[in-house]
Amino acid sequence: MTRIITPLAAGAALLLLGGCELGAKQSTQTGFRGAGLEQIVDVSEIKEAAEIPAAPYPLPPDGGPTAGQSYQNIKVLSGLSKERFDHLMAEMNQWVAPPAQGCSYCHNPENMASDEKYTKIVARRMLQMTQTVNSRWASHVKQTGVTCYTCHRGNPVPEYKWAIAEGTPTPGTILRNKHGQNTPNQNVGYASLPYDPFATYLAGRSQIRVASSSAFPSSKHIVSIKDAEKSYGLMMHVSGALGVNCTYCHNSQSFRAWNLSSAQRGTAYYGIRMVRNINEDYITSLQSVFPAYRKGPRGDPYKVNCTTCHQGVSKPLGGVSMIAEAPVLRGVAPAETPAGAAAVPAAFAKPAAMTGRK
Amino acid sequence: MMARYQNIFTQVQLRGPLEAGPLLPPGSFRRLGQGSYNYWAGKLGAAQLGPIYLGRLGIASLICAFTAFEIIGLNMFASVGWDPVQFVRQLPWLALEPPGPQWGFQLFVPLAEGGWWQMAGFFMSTSLILWWVRTFARARALGMGTHIAWAFGAGILLILTLGFIRPLLMQSWAEAVPFGIFPHLDWTAAFSIRYGNLFYNPFHCLSIAFLYGSTMLFAMHGATILATGRYGSEREIEQIIDRGTAFERGALFWRWTMGFNATAESIHRWAWWFAVLTPLTGAIGILLTGTVVDNWYLWAVLHGYAPSYPSTGVVDPASLPGAPQ
Amino acid sequence: MALLSFERKYRVRGGTLIGGDLFDFWVGPFYVGFFGVTTAICASLGTALIFYAASLGDTWNPWLISIAPPDISYGLGLAPLREGGFYQIITICAIGAFVSWALRQAEICRKLGIGYHVPFAFGFAIFAYVSLVVIRPWLLGAWGFGFPYGIFSHLDWVSNTGYQYLHFHYNPAHMIAVSFFFVTGGALAFHGALVLSAVNVAPGETVKSPEYEDAFFRDTIGYSIGTLGIHRLGLFLALSAGFWSAVCIIISGPLWTRGWPEWWTWWLNLPIWS
Repeated sequence: MTRIITPLAAGAALLLLGGCELGAKQSTQTGFRGAGLEQIVDVSEIKEAAEIPAAPYPLPPDGGPTAGQSYQNIKVLSGLSKERFDHLMAEMNQWVAPPAQGCSYCHNPENMASDEKYTKIVARRMLQMTQTVNSRWASHVKQTGVTCYTCHRGNPVPEYKWAIAEGTPTPGTILRNKHGQNTPNQNVGYASLPYDPFATYLAGRSQIRVASSSAFPSSKHIVSIKDAEKSYGLMMHVSGALGVNCTYCHNSQSFRAWNLSSAQRGTAYYGIRMVRNINEDYITSLQSVFPAYRKGPRGDPYKVNCTTCHQGVSKPLGGVSMIAEAPVLRGVAPAETPAGAAAVPAAFAKPAAMTGRK
Repeated sequence: MMARYQNIFTQVQLRGPLEAGPLLPPGSFRRLGQGSYNYWAGKLGAAQLGPIYLGRLGIASLICAFTAFEIIGLNMFASVGWDPVQFVRQLPWLALEPPGPQWGFQLFVPLAEGGWWQMAGFFMSTSLILWWVRTFARARALGMGTHIAWAFGAGILLILTLGFIRPLLMQSWAEAVPFGIFPHLDWTAAFSIRYGNLFYNPFHCLSIAFLYGSTMLFAMHGATILATGRYGSEREIEQIIDRGTAFERGALFWRWTMGFNATAESIHRWAWWFAVLTPLTGAIGILLTGTVVDNWYLWAVLHGYAPSYPSTGVVDPASLPGAPQ
Repeated sequence: MALLSFERKYRVRGGTLIGGDLFDFWVGPFYVGFFGVTTAICASLGTALIFYAASLGDTWNPWLISIAPPDISYGLGLAPLREGGFYQIITICAIGAFVSWALRQAEICRKLGIGYHVPFAFGFAIFAYVSLVVIRPWLLGAWGFGFPYGIFSHLDWVSNTGYQYLHFHYNPAHMIAVSFFFVTGGALAFHGALVLSAVNVAPGETVKSPEYEDAFFRDTIGYSIGTLGIHRLGLFLALSAGFWSAVCIIISGPLWTRGWPEWWTWWLNLPIWS
């Protein structure tokens, strides 16, 4: 008996340990002491900060003739100085275009002004998008801002993206029909939760909040448990994208209560709206521009989610700002800063501020 | 000291004629089989397996249970396109889901949209109820009390509350629990999130307290009996009607430890009530959720039992003028 | 003296582990012994400190009183009394009281000539508590990882600590523990009910013997574990519930930091599927 059991037990123990993280741990307290509000990470699991590419050449001073005066068919950046425009083009070359193709990824080298390549139309729209993100959505990207590189990281198409899922080939039957859930899927951290929260929440505008604002039932708040599972799925995605757990933003005493939530939840609120804005106005609007091989199985262009920029870290690129290298991408700040951007307090930066009772 | 016999397994197993059991009242079926001995079962408890009384209720119940099991399993199998490897690999994730909220509490939902779930639920419930009648009938056939049936009934009530009574009150099948290993855990978590933290549901508190209490009671009771085994403490019925030194010592152990003791009979009443109140209070807590209370945390705030933490000062962006919704 | 009719003959000298005859006496129904004294000291000091620490808080509402552990920043050191120090002393008192209680149970076992099963079983409960407030915090490097002493605040800790792993129900040890809890509850119901049903029979019937108990379970499910076996099974189930509860929290953080659902990818990635 023992001759069989001992190796079996040893094997099982090894298997179990194999599923463990044995390395040193690092922890951060994110709320009042004893409330279980902590981030615990295995040091070896911490994502290395992505490398920031060196500028192609130093940013030239502003001034001189504008791009609009120097080139033809300039629609977005016509007011930018030619020198800066050329610098940005060199940066885009480095950040987005495949090295083998360079400028000709978007331009016809015989006629740079031509719009014949779809990539140029897309790039133009993306420039507008980046300016919008940096100006209108400063509530999310703060002063760090984003550049093409934040998402692209040297790839013509950002690595992390999504399109509407293929769905079952035989709807209306039980064959291969999982009703969009009950499948191990990285999108939702491998839980069996509905695995495509993107179409619902990041293209659509479904209500993410599922708990009621009132203690008592009301006909104004009819939310199914299935909706709660979907919302949970989205939150699993956010967690995975940022490499954080639920208590980074929430005190689960009440997921809904804002006065228990960290400032990051406010930032995330704007982030989700920003993503919707991007997907709706800057990507889906290019539906007819993208060729079929740049679209998902259902013919919609690839869209963004939290992972597109964050890639497993709470601050994309480790919080390094590249915007100084491409100041024009800041865009034009809207006349009014969106309300609430300033309402996110500094409390989270100093956990100690949250731990004194008085 | 360590090597001393601690009564945690049987050292010497007796082998003799198998127990056939008392005679059953006229009109009963015959018990199936003569029974047999199993050495390993005999290590922990009785070595005798069987015989069993199946009867009409038992057969009907097993058929229903098998039907429910097959419906669930085949639905899961179909969901991976009848791929046996993926069926095993993904099994913990697979589910048979109840109808979506768009179907309300409609009696007959198309099979692929939750109708199979309704059917599986029906057969599972029928199986449980038939088995419940069986526990009642078997006790009566032996001239015993029906305490087992009522305890089992409390458990069935919780299952029916989760899968039928509450969905009925909410007028939505979508409120019910899916069949599936991980999926039912997702349901549980989503249920708590949707209804604002189930930890603040007082009946959930009670149910957990009774569950932990039951575990503690069984540990206390089991340990007491094993500790006094050398005095014959396992003859509990005998000790109830004619207390001997085994239960005197057991009782005094607790009296000297905590100032209070149960008796041979009353410990089983404590046990029965703790165990039965676990699903009973649980079912009440489930029934009240969404029907009477929509957010347990806010309900706790109203009634002054939700601890407060220093405010983070964060406000809901949606409540600010001009904020994106 | 509240002495049971049969009690006097059991109240004999001896069986103590420490202190000889010094503390070998009863107070009312309670046996004292050396460990009774240490239990009383630890328990009263701990309780007094809970009341004192509560008086420094802003509520006397019993549901809301909470004595919280220190900030994580104090690591494995001592914190100022009002910032978790009380919690630390209360924890020491609690462990002292629990361990003393178990040893006092052992003395009572010796006195009554019975096995040590109860203190052994109680040891599992102590282990579960120590796992939460000592072993896991120590492995994570800060006493602040312990749970706060408050009726509802400790539930917030449970909830938040669970959500640190995104979905705690996927913790395999938690699954095992919960299953053991449920099975223990079911087994307790059936055991209690079976004994009651043998003694509290239908009108006109006589009290039934264990043969009837066995027959009931054999008739119903084909097996009866027997009068002794059910207590072995019950103790095993109950202790397993406590043991796996302790395991499920010790591994959360020290041995796994990501979402528990992700842990199951080892199963998905086994080389046997292709």
